[in-house]
This record gives sequence, structure tokens and C-alpha cells, in this order.
Amino acid sequence: MAQVLAHAPDTSSAKAARGLTNPRTWSDLGSNDSLVWGKCQGSARAPYQVTVDLTEPAFRCTCPSRKLPCKHSLALLVMWATNDGAVADIEAAEPFAADWAAQRAGRKAAAGTDRAPDPEGQARRLAERESLMSAGMDDFERWLHDIVRQGLASARRQPPSFWDAAGARLVDAQLSGLGARVRAMGGDIHARDDWAPHLLGELGRWYLAVRAWRRRDDIDDATMGDLRTVLGWPRRRDDIGDRVADRWWVVGLSQQEDDNSLLSQRTWLHGERTGETVMLLDFAAAGQALKVAHVLGSIVAGEVARYPGGGPRRALLTDEEPKITQGAGLPHATDVSPALDQAAHWLAGNPWLRRIPMALGDVTVIPGDPPLLVDRHGAALTLAPETDIWQLLALAGGHPVRVFGEWVDERLHPLSVEIDDRLVSL
Amino acid sequence: MSGATTWDDLLGTALVGTTRRAVDQLTIGTETIHADSAEATVLAAAALASGYRRAGWTPPTWRGTPAPPAGPDGRPECTPAATQLLELLLNRGIRVEGGPELLAVQWLNLAKNAGRRPPYRLIVDLLRFGTVNAATRALVRDVVGPRGVWLAQHNPSWSWAAAVPPQDVVERFATGTRVERLGLLTDLRATEPDFARTLIEDTWADEQAATRARFLDTLHAGLSANDEPFLERALDDRAATVRAVAATLLDRLPGSARARRMAERAKNLLTELPDEPDQEARRDGITDHREPGYGRAASWLIQILAATPLSTWDTGQIPKAEREVIIGWTKAALRQRNQEWLTALARHQPSPELVAALNPRAATDILDQQKKLDARFGGLLAAAPGPWPAKFSVEIVNRLRAHKANNVLQLAATALAEHLDPQALAAVEAWLLTVAPDEKATRRVLRGIAHALTIRATIKQEFT
Repeated sequence: MAQVLAHAPDTSSAKAARGLTNPRTWSDLGSNDSLVWGKCQGSARAPYQVTVDLTEPAFRCTCPSRKLPCKHSLALLVMWATNDGAVADIEAAEPFAADWAAQRAGRKAAAGTDRAPDPEGQARRLAERESLMSAGMDDFERWLHDIVRQGLASARRQPPSFWDAAGARLVDAQLSGLGARVRAMGGDIHARDDWAPHLLGELGRWYLAVRAWRRRDDIDDATMGDLRTVLGWPRRRDDIGDRVADRWWVVGLSQQEDDNSLLSQRTWLHGERTGETVMLLDFAAAGQALKVAHVLGSIVAGEVARYPGGGPRRALLTDEEPKITQGAGLPHATDVSPALDQAAHWLAGNPWLRRIPMALGDVTVIPGDPPLLVDRHGAALTLAPETDIWQLLALAGGHPVRVFGEWVDERLHPLSVEIDDRLVSL
Repeated sequence: MSGATTWDDLLGTALVGTTRRAVDQLTIGTETIHADSAEATVLAAAALASGYRRAGWTPPTWRGTPAPPAGPDGRPECTPAATQLLELLLNRGIRVEGGPELLAVQWLNLAKNAGRRPPYRLIVDLLRFGTVNAATRALVRDVVGPRGVWLAQHNPSWSWAAAVPPQDVVERFATGTRVERLGLLTDLRATEPDFARTLIEDTWADEQAATRARFLDTLHAGLSANDEPFLERALDDRAATVRAVAATLLDRLPGSARARRMAERAKNLLTELPDEPDQEARRDGITDHREPGYGRAASWLIQILAATPLSTWDTGQIPKAEREVIIGWTKAALRQRNQEWLTALARHQPSPELVAALNPRAATDILDQQKKLDARFGGLLAAAPGPWPAKFSVEIVNRLRAHKANNVLQLAATALAEHLDPQALAAVEAWLLTVAPDEKATRRVLRGIAHALTIRATIKQEFT
């Protein structure tokens, strides 16, 4: 489902498509190995003829919308993907679908079996995108200057729309990563006690992104990778980097649902041989299972491809059939101080890094307000307010334990605890 | 500004804005920053300084003493399948007839008897379950074991599960609120009933009447002959409410002096109605309270019989007894928990109240003797305690099906789900196959029962 909706040109199409997935507005629904088709009753008298070629995927609809794919095509694909019987398996496609498929096949044949890449077109599209982003960055810089000129105290008095509008402008300029961070500030500025230093730090990092963007031709590949992450400029799957084989211990899972009911899961892996920590990111529509369900506490022996960037790096599991065995807890736990040294090391490489993995050994949970995690030397980390402190206490029972978590803005979000050589998720 | 800029300087400037505070150049660490504009200078300085700040952050040192950890729990953990089931039941992830709570209680009972513990990760859910379902608290506390009792100390809403150290009990009882003190007494009665009573007696004279009545009421748990002298004294309490509670408790002690006095009064009463109660009888708790549908004298009779030891009589007298005598004996049998009399009275004229007080085998025997499968039977079946024997379970399902007793099925659905032996599952499923598709209510109930039996069978299997 997430994959389906990932084809949506924007969130409003995705939303509209969900509204059209009632089979009653459809007729002549069907699918075979390569095509899905159906007729959707829209505002026009004749129903729209909708066809999706699953091999690409490619979309065709007789509706007047200029968006590609349109909401009808998306809805059809969603219904097909839901697989609840609404879209039947039919050998022979409806004529309108079969005709279109035949036309496409003809065009493809004419263009040769391997469609030649269109380097000119690609370069042109890239240049267009970059100029849009540059314009967005110029606008963003002026906005940052305004805040500093007027003062942070005055920014705090702004209504939520102040942050939302700035975020939306960034999204329009294809800078969705920055946009999300700016929008989040609209809430943080009122929710956090330390809003002023937090805002000043973020302003600095945003400004750093503007400056780095202007010098993008000079910076190295790793920094460019980190910059792309901050900006929200994803890489193509085939464009990602070097591969490492290892026995990867699955040490932490964190799931989140966003405003569009999209479920995302971060999976933290620790390489037994390399000692490296990498993070996998998977998506699914809410209520659906993740395509890749990584099991906490298991060991995945196989190859991952790491995205360019500073550590801890995002990675993709490239092995189709990795060997999975049972692990024995948290192999790389340390005291608080070395964990913070590692964090400083990562921050030196990537100033935009927000979420820092930490594997802590011999830490005791101290209930209180706020609750703490204290190591054997007394070094205390504050637990994030949303921590399920009772569950953590129940698991630890007041004994020192090993905990894996994410260190975000000087708060620890625990994800898993080792109990009797097994990791238990929180 | 000159010299190194501190983070606080920078923050101060940023807060008021560069329109109010002029900025030329800033020094962060060893870097001097002087950009095209004051704004750019502040932003660049913020980028650098916050980087230093984040990377150089050091944790505070905690100097407290951690609370002592939870004690060891020697019980082996239950099986993964049992864990999964409990998780589903506690999170209400399953639909079963009667609700998942009933099955959760069965799970807890089996775990307790098998000496297995739940995994620690379900202790929070169990404590929340006990908080909502107060009747299960004693059971939950046993099952969560030392880890749960330890955890409950940290959260006031779980105080019902927290262990109070013995040396603290007296102090807590002396200083606590009424609710806390009642909680302490209820807990203590389960383990040290005599100590709990002494606590009540210690402050007895200074408590308000309502408090005295509530405290006395806690003696229901762990009631024994040791409590009699105190109860006998309470019959002379200046508050009527306290005297009534004392009389109710003494009703349950057929060996007491008051029971002997009642037996004396009850002599000859099978043939004639009693006179106006004298002062002694009033002291023993006989009131002018009217039994609905009976006159003054008959109501006195019922009260006297209800407080008289059943050993005074012979069950052979039941068939010839008057209605008010039967009522008095029924009350006595329920209060004295006398199985012989309960069974004899239920044979004579079964009622849900009597059936509910019988042990499962006696209760199912009574049900077996009933000829008509009507609504009254449904009430008896719903009241019968479990677990029901396998033979009875299979037969009752087949009887209900043969007589198309769908109304009984509806009335007793919860009891069937809770008490039928899992061996009756095949009979339930066979019935379900013959029910017409349009009889939705019947189908739903049968499916719910089948589901509950499957789960119960699994639970049982996981604890053997």
C-alpha cells in the first residue's frame, strides 16, 4: 500500500485515491499478470476507463486530470493491492485495457527492447529541480535572517501558521526534509522548556544547510549524502553506495506513524565483524504489515548497501535471502561516557545528525521526574518523556541492565532491553 | 563585542534580535566569524557553537542511592504460547463469549497452580488488569510474584499489589486514610487474620461508627472462631450499623455462643410462630425487618432459623417444612456454607442462589435432574459454578441442541463459555453446523463459545 501511494504525485492525490476505493463506484474490475483495469463512475456521464500496467508501473485514465497518475489510477491500484477480492483475476483484459497495452507494447518495440536512457532529458530535469531548490533556499535564507533580526522571543509569539507556511514553501521547493523540521519547530517552541537554545541550534543547522547547498559542488560525497537527507532529496535505489557483508545484529526497532497514516520503521543493525551501526528504513500504510519484518534480537547474515553519508549510515538490505539466526542480546553495550564520545565523533562528521544510536551496559532505571538511566559511574541520561517507564522498570526490576536507544536532543528514547540474553522491545 | 562569545551571549543576542543589539563579529572557540550581515554572523555562529555544545555535552552525575531491586522469582517462565494467549486476552485482542476477562482469570488460576510466572514484559498489563478488575487482585498479586509486588511500590495506583513491610503496618494503620487502612486490613486478613483483628481492636474505641462498621466488615475474609469474642462484644456496640455487621458475621459461625442461644430460641418453632423478641433476642440481632411477603412473626422466625446451626435439624425434615422455614434454612445454609444442606435444599427446590453455592459436581447433578429446559433452567445453568465435568458438558450441549433450547443458550452463554469442559467443543461445533444461516444470534453465541473452549483447551495444555 505504501508502495502504491508512493506513486502519488502529492498527498492530496493519495488522499483522494483513498476516498475512491469503494468497489461500488467501480465496474468491470479485473486484473491479470501485467494489467489492472476497471471503470470508475466520476463526475462525467460515461465512467472513466482506468488501466494500470503493473510492469512499469504505467497509468492511463480517460479522466481530464493532468496529474499523473490520477486519483482513479491510484485508487484502482490500492484496491488491487488490498487483495480482498474486489478486483478479480481475469485472463482476458477488457478491450480498452488490452488495446492500450498493445499500443504500449508497439511503442516499446519501436523504441528497441532496451529503452535507451535519455541523458539530455535527465540532465534537464535535474537542472530544473536544482534551480527550484536554489530559489527555495534563497527564500529560506531570507526567512532565517528575518527571525534573527526580529529575535527568537518574537518568533515564539508567532502563530502556528508562521511555521507551517514556511514549511509548506520548503516542501513546494522540493525541500521536504527541511520543511518537516521547520514545521516540527512550531510545536517544539511551545512544548520544550529549552525552546530558546533548541531553536537557536536548529537555526544554525538550517543555515548550515543553506550554505552547504550553495557549495554543493565542492563538498565530498559523504557530506552531500548527509545534506540530501536533511533536505529530503532521496536517492534513487540504484544510486546507493558501497556494500558490506557482515552478521548484522538487530538491536532496536522503532515504529512511527505520520500524519498521512504512513507507518515507518527504523531498524538498527550492529555489524559483528565491522562493529558498524547502520539503520534500515521501511515503510507501510497504517494497518498493513511491513514488507520486511525484522525481528528484534535476531542476526541477519548478509550484505547491506550503505547510503553515502557520515555515520551512523542508512543502509538497504540487498541480500534477497539473508541467513537469519537467533542472537544473544546487545553485543556492543558500553558505559555512558564512551557512548557520548561516539556520538560526538558522529556529530563532528554530520552536524545535522539528530538521532544517535546508543547501546548502554549496566544502566539502572531511576524512576522520578524526569526518570533517568544511570550507569555504574553515576553518569545520568534523561529518559524521553514518552518513555514507557513502567514497562522499563518491570523488565529491569531495579537491576542494572543493557539498554539500546536513540539519543535525540539530549533525551534517550529506549527501544530495547536485554533480559536473560534476549532483547525485549519497549 | 570582543573576546570569545559564550553561548549565553549568543543566545541573548538572538533572543532580542539584531535590530536591538548590534553585532559586528563573533568569536566561537578559536574561530572569528564576520559575515556579510549581522544576521548571517549570528546564524553562522549558532551553527558552530551549537555543534560544539552538542558534541561536548557531558552528563550530570546522579548521586542518589537506588531503591533495592526486586527479589528473585524462582518460578519458571510460562511457555511462549501461553504468553501469547495472555497478551491477547489482556489487550482484548480476541472476541469470546463472556469477554476475555473470564479467560484471563482462568489463565491466572492455571499459572498459579502450575507454579509458572508470566514474562516480566506482561507485568504492567497484569497490574493494570487487576486495577480495573478489583475482584481478581489477590490472584493477580500471586501471579505477578515478587517482580510485580516490587513494581507496584513505585506506582500509587497499584498500591493494592504493593507489599507493605511488616514493621510499617502498624505505623501505616495509625496514620493512613480510611481507604488505605481498609486496604491494609483486607490484605492482612488474607495472611495474618488475628493480627489484623488486633489492629482493629487497638483503635476501636476512638473510631467513628461508620469506620467501625467498615473495619468490622473486613473480618468476612479469614473469619474464624478466634474472632468470636470480639464479635460478641460488638453486639453491644452503641451503633446499630456495627451491631448488624457483628450479627451478620456471627451468622457464619455456627459454633458460637450466639448460635447456641439461637438454637435455644428455635426449639419448637417448626410448629409454632415465635413471640415478640425479648431484649436478649434483640441483642442477638433479631429485628423487625420484614421478609417480603411475610408477616411480623414469620419474619422473626426466618431470622432466628437463619442464625441457628443447621446441626439442630435433620435434612429429612425439608419435604414437610413450611415455606418460611425453608427460607430460613436456605439463608442458614448459605451463611454456614453447609454443602449437605445446600444440596438437600436444592434437590427440594433449586434456585440460582443455591446452585451457585454448591460445588461443581453437586451443582451439575442438580441440573441433570431438571426435566424442563425453560428460562428457569437457563437461570440455574447460568449460576452453576465450574469447571463442569466432561460428561455433563457434552450431554448438556447435546440436550440443549436436541430441545432447540436457544433461549437457554442465550441466558447461560457466559457460563457455558467459562465452565464447559473443552471436550464439549465437538458438540458445540456440530450444533453450529446445523443452525440455519438466518439465526444470527444463535450462531454468534455458539461461535463465541467454541472460540472460548478452544482457547481454554490451549491454556490448559500450556500449563500441564
